[in-house]
Amino acid sequence: MDEVSLIAAARQGRVDAFNDLVLAYQQQVYNLAYRILGDPASAADATQEAFISAFQSIARFRGGSLKSYLMRIVANGCYNELRRRKRRPATSFEDFGEVDEEANPALINGHEGPEEYAERQEMARVIQAGIETLPPDQRITLVLSDVQGLSYQEIAEATDVPLGTVRSRLARARGKLRDYLRIHGELLPAQYRLE
Amino acid sequence: MGRLFTRQEREREQRDELLSAYLDGQLSAGEQARLKTQLATDPALRVELEALHHAVALVRDLPPAPIPRNFILPQAMAARPRPARRARPRRAWAAPLLTAATAVASLLFVVVLAGDLLLSGAGGRAFAPAAMPPKEAEAPQLALQPSPISEEVEAEVEKMIPAATPLPMPTEVPPGTVPTVVVEAEVHDAAAPEGMETPEQAVGGGGPIEEPAAPAPAASPTVAEEAAAAPTAPATATAVPERGVGGVEPTPGAVTEVAPLTLEEEEANAAETERGEPEGPATGIAPALLWRVVEVALGLSALGLALAAVWAWRAQRGNP
Repeated sequence: MDEVSLIAAARQGRVDAFNDLVLAYQQQVYNLAYRILGDPASAADATQEAFISAFQSIARFRGGSLKSYLMRIVANGCYNELRRRKRRPATSFEDFGEVDEEANPALINGHEGPEEYAERQEMARVIQAGIETLPPDQRITLVLSDVQGLSYQEIAEATDVPLGTVRSRLARARGKLRDYLRIHGELLPAQYRLE
Repeated sequence: MGRLFTRQEREREQRDELLSAYLDGQLSAGEQARLKTQLATDPALRVELEALHHAVALVRDLPPAPIPRNFILPQAMAARPRPARRARPRRAWAAPLLTAATAVASLLFVVVLAGDLLLSGAGGRAFAPAAMPPKEAEAPQLALQPSPISEEVEAEVEKMIPAATPLPMPTEVPPGTVPTVVVEAEVHDAAAPEGMETPEQAVGGGGPIEEPAAPAPAASPTVAEEAAAAPTAPATATAVPERGVGGVEPTPGAVTEVAPLTLEEEEANAAETERGEPEGPATGIAPALLWRVVEVALGLSALGLALAAVWAWRAQRGNP
């Protein structure tokens, strides 16, 4: 069944049809939530809530890109979570340990050895730390653009801002991340450093 | 220094925006040509572009975060009623409108408050003068209409007692005792101050008056006796024997007859005197009270609108 048929069935209240859509998009939705929020537990909660919200409001979906629709929902949820954290800062238990959130041996590519995999995970930690220094609106725009690969127009629809705002937010986010890497560039594995 | 820093920061942001859009192929043909020309001649700009490109490449090279579990929905979700309501429209106009309303309400509040303070500071209570006229206007209605005979008595009293003397507070006279009266000093003042009797009310007084001012029933020795004698006496003689006490025994025939007063009017008069405060101010303070109500209402409105505006701005800023 194609996506349009699945959406039509989901609008009739068929959960199994919607679950097919969940399976198709859950990796992207969770990845977006994880890159914005920075911890797996919050990302999982945001992802689950986004799918529930999407199913409950699927009747309001008027066609177009389902990916953008889902990204918009999860981005709004993550934004609200970041605002909540700003109001009531709390330290996660995971911050006390050496939990490797990125590590997943199952994701090692066939052509990637353990050493390369470890270096890639180290690079991901440094970049994730840099992303988390960004303000929420710039962070969401950067992740939507450079992690999820959304176009300027899709980002504008997902975040409900004009194209010019998307352009300026993205430029500021990239500029700040570049400055962050100038300072913390030595933390990157050698192969990821800028010569 | 700060301005220079701000200008440099702005120029840097503009340059980054140009470079970022260039990386995404979002520049127009003209912008792209100009930037390429600058890059060819400006090594520092090339370094910036390279650093920006490196940062973007690293973000794009991030490995996907492994999902901890599946996020499929339980079948029970199908039984849940789905809200059919439409999405609430964003009220982008609410915050500016509430802010403007807050400004207007605050301005009105300040103007009203300042006006009140200025007027009250200039001549006492701003509305105190307005509070008095109703009393004076009302007093004639409450007072007895003096007969020509009572005017004569007043004239005699004024001749005999030129100086005004303070009037003691009225006290009750035990029934059966000989009533005494006090001559009012300012008998011409229709609107007597509180605690004082009007000349009409003290008309029975005037001990020194020797000639009977009225024939037959009015010439009775005391008002009490007259009241006992004639059925209409209580209404005509007022309550002078009960109020007008001062240790002066009235001369027989000193009680003068006054114009008839209805029982209701008399009771109202007595109640007013016993309260010690005239009824006039009850209507006279209305403007001042109204002024206070307006001040409080404006103040509360300004406060409420300000809170609503803050809430609206926060809600508007909350939507990414």
